[in-house]
Amino acid sequence: MSDTVKPGYLVTAGASGALFGAGLYVSQMVDPYKVLNFLNVGGIADGSWDPSLALVMASALVVMFIGLRIGDRQKRPIFNGKFHKPDLTEIDKPLVLGAVFFGIGWGMSGICPGPGISLLAFMPENLLIFLAATFAGSFAGSYILKGMKPKPATA
Amino acid sequence: MDAFSPVSALAGGALIGLASALLWIGNGRIAGISGIFGQLLPPANTVIWRIVFLVMMVGGAGAAALLLPGLGPEGAGGAALSLKGSPLWIAIAGLFVGVGTKIGNGCTSGHGVCGLARLSPRSFVAVGVFMATAALTVAITGVA
Repeated sequence: MSDTVKPGYLVTAGASGALFGAGLYVSQMVDPYKVLNFLNVGGIADGSWDPSLALVMASALVVMFIGLRIGDRQKRPIFNGKFHKPDLTEIDKPLVLGAVFFGIGWGMSGICPGPGISLLAFMPENLLIFLAATFAGSFAGSYILKGMKPKPATA
Repeated sequence: MDAFSPVSALAGGALIGLASALLWIGNGRIAGISGIFGQLLPPANTVIWRIVFLVMMVGGAGAAALLLPGLGPEGAGGAALSLKGSPLWIAIAGLFVGVGTKIGNGCTSGHGVCGLARLSPRSFVAVGVFMATAALTVAITGVA
């Protein structure tokens, strides 16, 4: 049986997902306008800028950094044969172009994938349009990627 | 208008970091939501854990809202949450998010949290570019 369908693996995935969703709610990052108020750096001048998102990221980073150090001491993850380190290292055109596209969509909506999916718990109007479009975009992106690179990167 | 909320930001961020650390130490996986979501598409050989993660993420957000209703916009749980713009605007934004995270191989979680914590040069570039592009987009199109 593959590791990825064993109980320990699935319970860990579920617990991680639940903590992630709770964190997105507690940090209020599920609110698109809170995110937009962070991205609106013009608000620094008039006092309407909301730096909360930077603190969310900083806090998450510190905890994850410690988690990675703990992982470094293990030969392998608890419920899997190996650590799946991202295998891409090159700063290439797809990375930069992808970040530009994502930045446009994020700036238009204030929604990135984590909050977008977590919003299913609250079902604001038009959410399913956003998620369907994201899914379609991801599907299209895999073909664009194949056209840009000799081998598809699906890490 | 939303106001700066340092305590909930730090607490929520710590939960997100804990979630990412748990998935790494337990399963050896990067908690990148765009990757977990995008690879629900074939050819994905390990779809079950991705579904479990995402369903529990929605459940975790909902449960947190029940426990801490005061954190929602206007203090009314998730009831007042709304998206910006017309359905067409939202669809175009979603398309950009989907295409961009796929070809850029990550979003705010994968690059922004996991990648930066790994000190990945690719993630530093990605985060710098998508933050700058998003800020520029908001400067042009506005917040409301």
